[in-house]
Amino acid sequence: MTAIITAPDHEVPATTELIAPKISRYKRMFPTVGVLLSWMFLLTLTFMAVFADYLPFIRSTQTVVKASGRSGVRFGFGPGFTAWFGTDTLGKDVFAKCIYGARVTLFVGVLATIIGLTIGGILGLAAGYFRGWVDRVVSILTDCLLALPPLLLAIILVFRLDDLKAKWSWISWLDRRWQITLTLGILAIAPLARIVRAQTLSLREREFVLAARSLGAKNGRIVVREILPNLIPTMMTVAFTGLGILIAAEGALAFLGLSVEIPTPTWGKLIDDNKNKIDVAWWAEIFPSLMLFLTVLAFSVIGDRLSRRFDIREAGV
Amino acid sequence: MAGTGKAHLRNGEALLRVEDLVVQFPVGRTGLVVNAVSGISLDVLKGETLGLVGESGCGKSTTGRAIMQLPRPNSGSVQFEGKELTAMAGDEMREARTRMQMIFQDPVSSLNPRRKVRDIVMEPLTIWDRGTKADRSKLVDRVLEEVGIDPQRASESQPHQFSGGQCQRISIARSLVLDPSLIICDEPVSALDVSVQAQVLNLLEDLKARYGLTMIFIAHDLAVVKNISDRVAVMYLGKICEVARSDDLYHEPAHHYTNVLLQSIPVPDPDVAVQRRAIEGEPPSPVLPPSGCRFHTRCPAAAARCSAEEPQLREIGDGHFVACHYPVHGGEAPVTVRSSGTAA
Repeated sequence: MTAIITAPDHEVPATTELIAPKISRYKRMFPTVGVLLSWMFLLTLTFMAVFADYLPFIRSTQTVVKASGRSGVRFGFGPGFTAWFGTDTLGKDVFAKCIYGARVTLFVGVLATIIGLTIGGILGLAAGYFRGWVDRVVSILTDCLLALPPLLLAIILVFRLDDLKAKWSWISWLDRRWQITLTLGILAIAPLARIVRAQTLSLREREFVLAARSLGAKNGRIVVREILPNLIPTMMTVAFTGLGILIAAEGALAFLGLSVEIPTPTWGKLIDDNKNKIDVAWWAEIFPSLMLFLTVLAFSVIGDRLSRRFDIREAGV
Repeated sequence: MAGTGKAHLRNGEALLRVEDLVVQFPVGRTGLVVNAVSGISLDVLKGETLGLVGESGCGKSTTGRAIMQLPRPNSGSVQFEGKELTAMAGDEMREARTRMQMIFQDPVSSLNPRRKVRDIVMEPLTIWDRGTKADRSKLVDRVLEEVGIDPQRASESQPHQFSGGQCQRISIARSLVLDPSLIICDEPVSALDVSVQAQVLNLLEDLKARYGLTMIFIAHDLAVVKNISDRVAVMYLGKICEVARSDDLYHEPAHHYTNVLLQSIPVPDPDVAVQRRAIEGEPPSPVLPPSGCRFHTRCPAAAARCSAEEPQLREIGDGHFVACHYPVHGGEAPVTVRSSGTAA
């Protein structure tokens, strides 16, 4: 009998010990609520933006909202069942405009990040790995880019590209959307090149690079096989955080009137159009701003999460 | 000490013969240089293990790397398997490097953290495109098993999932797959626990016996070097002070520096009275090394001659060479005509 009684005494601490690490591992693997919401928000937004033409609950941005005999013109509808985010001065659905606006905004943000990441990554990698005169040239280039006020540079570039487009027929495809993408991409090069260069400088001194060289690996192989895989976490993190910044920058450009051609909505343009009407119809101003805010926040949260996730792996090393 | 000279080099076929190796690093843009290695000469016969000991910053690791031509030495000659490495360039150099391999101090840093362990070990074969895919797999599995790593686990794990000792075994496996004739071990056990140290050392000795490996074993731990080496060279501030067979060196150290080093090995017995003489001060700066014997600033037996004349390596016993004017035993060095030393 005594044996049966004492047995649970030993087992109780044993089970708690077994469960404890399981929970912490589960916690580490499972994203936090914020990250989960961020992913959900971005995925839903992307889905709606891509399939906006086919989704029944998204109106065209060109039609005036009319319901039960009333027209939505001059902010006719507030946020509600008829128009979720209300209507603007022309009677167009603000929700629909927000979704269609996401198309341009996400396109510009993602593509500009890819441009910056590719060019900045290659420049930074070359500068950090080969050092010497390559490093000098790249450093001078990035320093120059960083020294110029980014907004001023963006304004000049967009105007300049407008002129060039009128002059040269071979860049006639370069509409405002591409101009802004290109401009923001160029602005993203310098900070990315700097980060990649710094990271490469430290990686090239690691012993596994020396080991690869002693095995007879050529420079190209060392860069692609040994250094690049170790750069990807940093680049991912910076890309996600940078994406938020670029989306906000697109909004800033639109606010200054440098946005895409007239009928196409973007968030920045919506914010700009309705900024003086905030007393009359707060919804036309607040909802696009909220979309911009939430998107930037979501990208930052995910970027932050990614950096911590890769940190844990590094700590495990 | 600061021994220059080549009296200790043996005639005949040496696998590796290093003469007057000099490695200097610039100090920023000041125009000054760090004299990491100042004209040392070594030779290693086939199947022999040479131990290279000395305190931190004396140029042991730099010597090892300069032999691999990573970085290239400023001057001197490195002959490996009868070929002059310092004159090689490009693909010829890459090819020659595969005949000698290096094992590094930090087992974790020497393996790429983002690659699978099996790929890391396979990498040398992939670079040189040796054999068919099946051949490579078989060879890698065999070598991994030989060093005591489960190939199955290696194919699905990254280095951080292994312990330090296991990582060092993986490094050893990687260096073995190309079937090199010389392995340079750069403090391979310094970063490991004592018990794991023993395992790795035993493994190295087994492999050495099985493959007839020739090794240069760099370490700052005399006890570690003693067991594995046939011949030991003691370095101080970029120069060799003493070269001897392992047993001779440990039983009858001739150089005062070696003597102090040996006395500083802790005795794991609380009843033994502490009678060792602690060495005074820090090693001098390798940017402006002392004149004459580089050890004279800290040597218990230093005399006027030591700061004026650089001692040459000379034989004081069978295969026992020392670079000291007044060694612990073996008699005073004959006065040479040149009083300024040969390094000038």
